[in-house]
Amino acid sequence: MSVDTSAVMAWFVPAVTAAFLTAFTLYVVRVVRGPSVPDVVLAIDCLSYDLAVFVALMTIYYGTPFLVIGALLLSLWAFIFDVFVAKYLLKKDLSG
Amino acid sequence: MAACVGEEVVLYVGMALVAVGAAYDVIAGIGMLRFPNFYVRLHAATIGAVGGAALPLLGVALIAFVSTQLGPYRWGVGAVCLLTAAAILITAPTGSHILAYAAHKSRSAPKEPCVHDALEGRERRGGGGDGA
Repeated sequence: MSVDTSAVMAWFVPAVTAAFLTAFTLYVVRVVRGPSVPDVVLAIDCLSYDLAVFVALMTIYYGTPFLVIGALLLSLWAFIFDVFVAKYLLKKDLSG
Repeated sequence: MAACVGEEVVLYVGMALVAVGAAYDVIAGIGMLRFPNFYVRLHAATIGAVGGAALPLLGVALIAFVSTQLGPYRWGVGAVCLLTAAAILITAPTGSHILAYAAHKSRSAPKEPCVHDALEGRERRGGGGDGA
């Protein structure tokens, strides 16, 4: 018989979640305080990547397999956000 | 019995990767808060993306492969986790590079304290600033 992973995850995921919530708080402080637009965008990028990991952990914790699609979309959204903000900073125009 | 030991090893390796990734994340958050300007904060953002997101996603994929809770879906969940880790490894450096280039070109991020800016002179001479 294999290992009962749900019993292990029942204490492991809350313990790791504490560290992830600390990192979320630090990033959100930078998002609020960020003196310029690139600072805010960089912090939101990191926040999105961490949320992707968090969603994957929640998938394991609750055993709901289709939740993990959100992680993939979050990571790709962060890249699109980067590209659009960079284009806006360079051209001041989002068309084309 | 051999399969049982192998599954335990995969589970504990995955848990170790997730724990190390969580530590990287806290370190990146501290760096993001304490570093003086945007160009130094890029360094912390890289730690948060590669060490704090791609590494724990690899660990979550390993945990998902041996998960008893997910049932037949465990291979799909692990594969999507691996795909997300690969996407982050490709897009995070590209995205931060684009953002740094745009921030420097549009002068929208303050540079102090600045030791040396080699790109500044090159842009003033009319070059592209991209090594061309």
